[in-house]
Amino acid sequence: MPNAIVAAGLSKTYDVKVRDPGIGGALAALVRPHYRQVRAVRDVSFSIERGDAVAFLGPNGAGKTTTLKMLTGLLFPSSGGAEVAGCDPWTGGNAFRQRIAFVLGNKQQLLWDLPPEETFRLNRAIYGVSASDFASRRAELVDLLLLGDLIDKPTRQLSLGERMKCELAAALLHQPEVLFLDEPTLGLDLEAQQTIRDFLGTYRERHGATILLTSHYMADVTALASRVLIINRGLLLYDGELAALVARIAPIKRIELVLSESVSRARLAEYGTVAHYAPPSATLEVPRENATAASARLLAELAVADLSIQDPPIEEVIRIAFGEGENG
Amino acid sequence: MASASAARAVTIWREQYTELMRAAFLVDLQYRASIAIWLLWGITEPVISLGIWWSIAAGGAVDGYTQGAFARYFFGVALVNQATLSWDAWNIDRWIREGEMNYRLTRPIAPIHEAIADNIAYKAPTTTIILVVWIAAAAFWPAVRVPFEPERWMLAVVAIVLAAAIRFLNGYATGLLAFWTTRATALVELQFGLSLFLSGRIAPLSLLPPGVVSVAQYFWFPYVLSFPVEVLTGSVMSTAQYARGFAAQIVWLAIWMALYLLVWKRGRRRYGAVGG
Repeated sequence: MPNAIVAAGLSKTYDVKVRDPGIGGALAALVRPHYRQVRAVRDVSFSIERGDAVAFLGPNGAGKTTTLKMLTGLLFPSSGGAEVAGCDPWTGGNAFRQRIAFVLGNKQQLLWDLPPEETFRLNRAIYGVSASDFASRRAELVDLLLLGDLIDKPTRQLSLGERMKCELAAALLHQPEVLFLDEPTLGLDLEAQQTIRDFLGTYRERHGATILLTSHYMADVTALASRVLIINRGLLLYDGELAALVARIAPIKRIELVLSESVSRARLAEYGTVAHYAPPSATLEVPRENATAASARLLAELAVADLSIQDPPIEEVIRIAFGEGENG
Repeated sequence: MASASAARAVTIWREQYTELMRAAFLVDLQYRASIAIWLLWGITEPVISLGIWWSIAAGGAVDGYTQGAFARYFFGVALVNQATLSWDAWNIDRWIREGEMNYRLTRPIAPIHEAIADNIAYKAPTTTIILVVWIAAAAFWPAVRVPFEPERWMLAVVAIVLAAAIRFLNGYATGLLAFWTTRATALVELQFGLSLFLSGRIAPLSLLPPGVVSVAQYFWFPYVLSFPVEVLTGSVMSTAQYARGFAAQIVWLAIWMALYLLVWKRGRRRYGAVGG
């Protein structure tokens, strides 16, 4: 499969004006401004195959959005290069822009005072979509995103979740090959988040679109992407399968128990580390390879009402992965 | 083959402008009350100037300007000013500071086209309103009638379109300085203050002190207001005056176009990650 996105040694350094607090500091900065270099993205390289969905993870200010802005041609890199949908993002011009879409969860392109339908019309003309393609794609998007009569209401009267659904529809009318999503579910309620996740999954399967998304919601990541890129302080720390990351970072499984008889903490500790103890429920952490055997012993030796084996929460895995970058 | 793709490019371009103007017009309709107030605000200044000069000219013509000539001049100022206004610097400043430039930069159309369409959608109806008011006034008030010379009107239209283009590019290029500074709009306000005297907004240029007039010649200001107004009202008579005025307009248009392209190109490289 050819690559849809290739980033080769992408770096971005900003000059940030530094000034001391107070009026004195402000005046001093006027006379003799000091600049500090901030290396927002450092030598980031990766490639994504056509049709893949990859999640870009990292704490705030890690360099996720800056990388996305470079890949979409908005920002020029300080060094390094990239190829997206077969084009150079900075010199690809309108041919490049026809092939991508960039949806920012915190900024909208919908015309605020008019119904979303007007933005759809406008985008049809801007992207030069034929009338027949427009009609079929619009119908598909309205159907998949459950837009119904939302598109005829002024955008300012829509809820955040409704707006985001319309925003996605507006961004996909030209059927981009590569879709960049920056926090697409930010601030949405659970139902709206779920609709958007389901939609993105279905859309990618149907059209073979490549998706690179950032999100703070692990549910987005686990539902949409099997592969993750972890970035912190501008450095790419991990590039690979989510499952492999979980196995490497957290080589344990959690056994969640509900006991039908009282069992002391010390007794439970014979089977593994007691992470949580609130009778009748308790959680044990055991090495991955021992999980099955430990469970069998628990069931045989204690009065267990319920037992389940789980991976540690993905949030925790990611937090540990970020921490590795801090130390390294 | 080449002609087919050229024809397709023209079709796309036409559809883009049609839809951009349609959207801008529909948004304007939502703000019709505000637009009525801006329109009134826009004509307040020429009305006040006319009131002052009207009373001064009551004692006799001022440097050849009778009361009627002042009335024609300031009707012309109101019309030309409405057709050539530029508020684009404020829009661009907001687009850049608040991150609204981002999606505009990922669309296959340069953001300047949206601004041009927005200008046409706003100015076509509002300038028509001023023109209709002027025609209605002229029906009852012979002094405000301009000479019946259709060729002159055609030339006035050309002068107004060139003036609008110069002011637009001037405002747009200055607004793009927001890529570097947060005070780009202050520069626009400074220019607006200077234009009060140098473009003929508060008095016909020929009535200003010779020093002011000679300074004005080195700027674009006289050619974006005074010149089109004087073509319209009949003050520009000789071929030499026409040639000088249009030549200056074309030169200033080229200068501001070049400045726009320069600032745009440099600014795009400079563009920082504002807005998330």
